[in-house]
Parts: sequence; C-alpha cells; structure tokens
Amino acid sequence: MGLPLFSAHDDPGPSFFHYAETTGLSVAPLGVGASSPHATTVIAVRYNQGVVMVGDRQATGNYIASRDVRKIEPADRFTALAISGTAARGMEFIRMAQLSFEHYEKMTDTALSLEGKANYLSPIIQLNNLSTPLMVLPLLAGWDTSHKVGRIFEYDGAGGCYERFDFATIGSGSPFAASTLRLGYSADIELEGALDLGALAIYEAGDNDPSTGGPDFVRNIYPMMVTVSSEGFVELSNDDVANRFRVINERRTQSGGVAGGSLR
Amino acid sequence: MTNYFYVSPEQLIRDRAEFAQKGIARGRSIIAAIYDKGVVMVAENPSASLNKISEVYDRIAFAGVGKYNEFDRLREAGIRWADGTGFTYSRGDVDARALANYYAQHLGDMFTEGQKPLEVEILVAQLGNLVRPTKLYRVAYEGTIADEPRFAVLGGDAETIKTRFAASEDTLEPLNTTLKNAVSALAGPDRTIEVADLEVGVLEDRGDRRTFLRLSDEQVSELLR
Repeated sequence: MGLPLFSAHDDPGPSFFHYAETTGLSVAPLGVGASSPHATTVIAVRYNQGVVMVGDRQATGNYIASRDVRKIEPADRFTALAISGTAARGMEFIRMAQLSFEHYEKMTDTALSLEGKANYLSPIIQLNNLSTPLMVLPLLAGWDTSHKVGRIFEYDGAGGCYERFDFATIGSGSPFAASTLRLGYSADIELEGALDLGALAIYEAGDNDPSTGGPDFVRNIYPMMVTVSSEGFVELSNDDVANRFRVINERRTQSGGVAGGSLR
Repeated sequence: MTNYFYVSPEQLIRDRAEFAQKGIARGRSIIAAIYDKGVVMVAENPSASLNKISEVYDRIAFAGVGKYNEFDRLREAGIRWADGTGFTYSRGDVDARALANYYAQHLGDMFTEGQKPLEVEILVAQLGNLVRPTKLYRVAYEGTIADEPRFAVLGGDAETIKTRFAASEDTLEPLNTTLKNAVSALAGPDRTIEVADLEVGVLEDRGDRRTFLRLSDEQVSELLR
C-alpha cells in the first residue's frame, strides 16, 4: 500500500470506515453466507454513576465452538462495545469500531462524542445486515464525558440506533435476561445492585437459552463483567465475578433450581 | 507558435530547491530529541489548534514545518497509511521507516515532476521496543531521508539551532533537561519563547498501547521550571 493521498474533493475525511471502503481495505459483504459460530447474551444496565455490562462467553455453532469468547471490548477509554450474532463479523465489527474512533481522534485531534460514536456505527450495521445473512448486532455503552452520565445505545437489524435510559439486552438469551432486568431494575439503582442484577440476568439467560453459556465452575470461566464510569472502562477480576456467580448458584441450589418467588 | 527556452537540469533543480527553501524558511523551526525514556518534539507554534506535531500510531509521531496545508495532508496520509497497515496485518507491523520512505518518495516525486516542489520538511519519530529501535527520520523537501542519531532540527534556521543543541550533553538525559535544552536552542541567546507559543509532544511508555502525549502548557511550565 502506497501513501494514501487524496485531493480535497474526494478526501474520505476522518472516517476510517469510509477510507477503508474507498480503498478496498475492507471486503464488502457478499450475499451468500456460510453458517459460523454465533449466539450470545449481553446486557447493559445504567446506574447512577455509569454503566454495567455483563456478557456470556460461549460461541455456538452446531456444537459449542468456544467457551471463552470476549464479547465486550473497550472501543476506547470511555466506551464499551458488545456484539451478538455471527462471531467472525462481530470481531471484525469491533476492530473496525475501535480503529475508527482512534483514527478520528488522531486525524482531528479531538475525540468523537459518545453520540457521534453511536451514530457512526448505524450505517456499518445497516450495510452488513441488509447485504448478508451473517447478522451482527452491537450494543454500545459508555461514559459521556461532556454530560457526565452513563449512556446506552442499542440497534435494530436495519441499523436503527436507539438510546436506552434503563437497560438493554442483545442476543439469543435476551427474553430471559430482559425479564430479569425488568423485574429487578429501579431508576436509582447503584453500582453493587446493578452488578448483581446484571449477573443474575446472564445467569437466567444461561440457564434457559441453549446458545448462552452460564458460569463454568469446572473450567473456571465466568461471564465478563465490566463497568464504564468517569474512571473509564474497568473489567472486574475473574475472582470477583466467580464469587458473584457462586452466590447466585448457591441460592439456586438451596431452592432446588427455582428463583423462589422473588428476584434472587 | 510557442517558444521553449532551454533550461539545464542543474539550473532547474537549483531553482526548485531555492523556491522550496524559501517557503520553509518562512516558518518557525522544530526540534526533536531522544531522551532517556522516549522522544520529545518541540515546535515554536503560536497557534494552539493548527498543530505541527501529531500522533500517527501507537509508537510513531509526525512533525512538519513549512506550508501548513501541505504537511497536514502528509500527516493525514501517514495516519491513514498506519491505521490501514495495522488493520490489514497487525499493529506490530507498522514501521516508521516504511512510512518515512513513502514520504521520501512522494516528496522526491513532487520535487522533480510536480508543478512545484512541496515547501515542507517532515520528521517521523519512532519509540523503540524489543523489535524496533528508537528512530528519528528527517525527510527534506526534495526527498532526501536522514536517520538522525540523537536529535533532529527542521525548518529554515536548522543549522544554527543544530549547533546550539549539539553543545548540550551527548548522553541521554531526563525529559526536563532535554526539553530545556531544546527550548533554549530554538530561542537562541537573545530571546525567550513563551510557554503558550510552544507545542510539545512526547512518545513515552506509560503502560498503555498508545505512547503519544501532547503536553499541556501547565505540564510544559512544570518541566521547564
């Protein structure tokens, strides 16, 4: 690749996606697709000081393809991006998003706003999902540095971007995770409450959805838990996450597998 | 009928070089130096937003003097090239020498074939790691590329500034000492440069993937104290 110089009228600007498209760096999606590992459950919960995200670790094809996939990644210091759908496309999507936000920052010497990042992803999702059966749906959550608040953006298959002020879920285990969140969420929820509720939602999804992995005590692999606040993207340690799921598991064992009439 | 007058190649090159040098000499200079933990780039720049120093990649920075629109387009191309290369291969495969070579080829082509030579001089700095060395590549308006061992000076007044900075210690020193030496070399004996008129960027390992940091006026004052 030579030096990518453009004249002023056909300059792709600070958008890496646009640049990659004009130069053929990224391959345009084709209309035919092979089936590849997919399925997920990831949730995001807004609490008073930021956002909590929890995601399972399993990739499922005709069998379990992987047990330790990371479906939540930092897109930059104050933004977390999660994916559901086709694994291969999802990973590429995260890479494109991470690079794009950094590219914009370097080109213009200013970081994109959180809303700017959310809108930027819309046409990329649209282009992917309307041209191939390899669906990808992301979930974007982050700390809005200019408004000092945690924000969550979810998308539909056609690229529509919607801000959620309570919580959002993506992936095949969504119905179970969303029900749990709906019952347990309150507008003044704090960090600990949001972490516990998020863990419970993923536990429920893992328990009921065959394509979502729950806590794996045998292999010591647990769902990923992160917070994004004024301190940036922070991933909880494996031990911390293990303890939270052990507590839930213990309660469930004692009640014989039922939630026991209350949200627990 | 149009008459073509013969111009010898020597004369043509001389004219073009003189033209480019004049353009470059109009702007202020930049000095880049290696210190004990990284690379510091110091520009005399009264504008706080029209930058001369920029991040290119995880361990690569760019500095340019001369016509702003010309070196800024090269800066953008460098960022695109680096991000594109890292996207295609891996982040570890993005190498400053390759980028400096592309700049050299482009500047060389513009010098001999372009409507006019570019009135710029640029620097590509790389912070070393286990597999790559710390390097300062200076690329001149006609495409010559120089691998500067300890420090590099860009701009019209380069020779004088170079002599002044060369008088400082030959060993690698901490950031504050190197920055002080660089600023006094840029200013010369007869004047001082206000902190607000300095643009300073460093490449230094701080535990993050990205090593570039633009220093604020407060940070610069603190270091110069």
